[in-house]
Amino acid sequence: MTTHSTELTVGRPRRGSIGTIFESLASLVERRRLVWYLTISEVRNKGTNSLLGNIWWFLDPALQLFVYFLLVSVIFQQAQPAILLFLGAAILPWKWFTAALASATTSVRGREQVMRQIAFPHIVLPAASVLASVGNFLFALVPLGALYLLYPDRLTPWALAVLPVAVVQFLWTLPAVIVLSAVAVFFRDISNFIPHGLRIWFYLSPALFPIETLRDIGARHPWFNFFVDINPFTWIFSGYRDALYYGRAPEWGPLGVLALASIPATLLSIYFFRRVSPLFVKVL
Amino acid sequence: MQYDLRLSKKRKLRDTVLRDGRHSQSGKFWALRDVDFRVEAGESVAVIGPNGAGKSTMLQVLAGILEPSVGKVEVRGKIATLLQLGAGFDPELNARENTLLVGEFLGVPHKEMLRRVPAILEFAGLGEFADAEVRTYSSGMRARLGFSVATSVEPDVLLLDEVLSAGDAAFVEKSRVRLTELMKRARAIVFVTHDLDSAAAFCTRAIELEGGRIVADGPAKRVIAAYKKKMAKRAATASRSGPVAHRGS
Repeated sequence: MTTHSTELTVGRPRRGSIGTIFESLASLVERRRLVWYLTISEVRNKGTNSLLGNIWWFLDPALQLFVYFLLVSVIFQQAQPAILLFLGAAILPWKWFTAALASATTSVRGREQVMRQIAFPHIVLPAASVLASVGNFLFALVPLGALYLLYPDRLTPWALAVLPVAVVQFLWTLPAVIVLSAVAVFFRDISNFIPHGLRIWFYLSPALFPIETLRDIGARHPWFNFFVDINPFTWIFSGYRDALYYGRAPEWGPLGVLALASIPATLLSIYFFRRVSPLFVKVL
Repeated sequence: MQYDLRLSKKRKLRDTVLRDGRHSQSGKFWALRDVDFRVEAGESVAVIGPNGAGKSTMLQVLAGILEPSVGKVEVRGKIATLLQLGAGFDPELNARENTLLVGEFLGVPHKEMLRRVPAILEFAGLGEFADAEVRTYSSGMRARLGFSVATSVEPDVLLLDEVLSAGDAAFVEKSRVRLTELMKRARAIVFVTHDLDSAAAFCTRAIELEGGRIVADGPAKRVIAAYKKKMAKRAATASRSGPVAHRGS
């Protein structure tokens, strides 16, 4: 049994920034079984409090898709062929992202009890949270798959490209979850801001409409293009749509850049988390 | 093997400073100050003192849960903490699963924990409840399981906070026996308690904390006896000067 004696992994980091990041990553590897147990625990817990239980994992994204379908197709009367698939290709992965952020806010804050009593590397908590959210993604694939029953001609081998795009999304979800889980300890109100912030982000991304809509705005207001370009979901949604809806190769260039850019973001988020984690127990 | 502990100061920000986002000038207070001591192998140290003296904070610092704002803590050896029984339990999992989960939190190697599970469950005496989810357990059962898990892992250093009172008389007796065994294995124990008789019976040494500082440190029986006298005197003085608090309301 360990709290390694003279090198308490819970205290203030004693090495430089690189050492700190490395130490966090090493502790994640060392405690991988703990991460796994926590992941399982979180996945199980998500299903227990409601009557339908884990069915909600399918039902929730499906219902959201339906709501937007009503809004876009029936009320706004935007015509898009295979509208459900057009929307679903973006909405369903987005659900994964928002669920991951939602559970991030409670991942550390909700474990106050055990943090107060046992010393362990806190980074395992957001790590488990992000892994549990992968379950969300896998479940969202089911209604997505069901859509192909409606539009079988839209299904091409390129649909498999959804996986690398999902990886890019995961790579950006990771730093978001890590940072958010720490910030939520100090600013509880953030749970209230997040849904609104996410909604705005969603509407500024090409989810409910094709990217041309955003580019049109950009043509009239050039500064807008900048924000469209740096929004990771511009490229991620386009990638999903290319693979699932248009049946063609996603744009690997921007996706590759996004993937690479996520690495320093993740490392920084780990560093940030590790630097503030000694304060968690004091604040909670 | 030596359990070496040196603590200097510790500061803890009041929760309200951060929660409300206000900056309070008086918002910083020292939960522990100039706490400096050393525990050797074979010692069992009782930490006594009135409420708010900083005893639990001290255990948290020793366990690596809190980091001292100033000074350092050095612990040579493996630590087990019993700060509050049932920590880390997931209510949706059963006893066996929770034992493994807590083992992971504590950093015990998985195989070792697997080996110990039957003995742990047996000691806790849960019977058929062992397969039920922990949320169905009474607080006593949770405490028994928590005690059983934490004391099963043969730490070099055991940190205890007010835990001997958990459970019925039979379990209390079992726990005393187990703790005595642990103590005999030349391990070090730091034991926070209000149960002065237990402390005097169990421990070789006692440290008295008040207001975050050490006010006495010596052989258990002597320090505890002096502490008892002091508390008795204070209580007598308080009742003589008449009740200050309002009645009712």
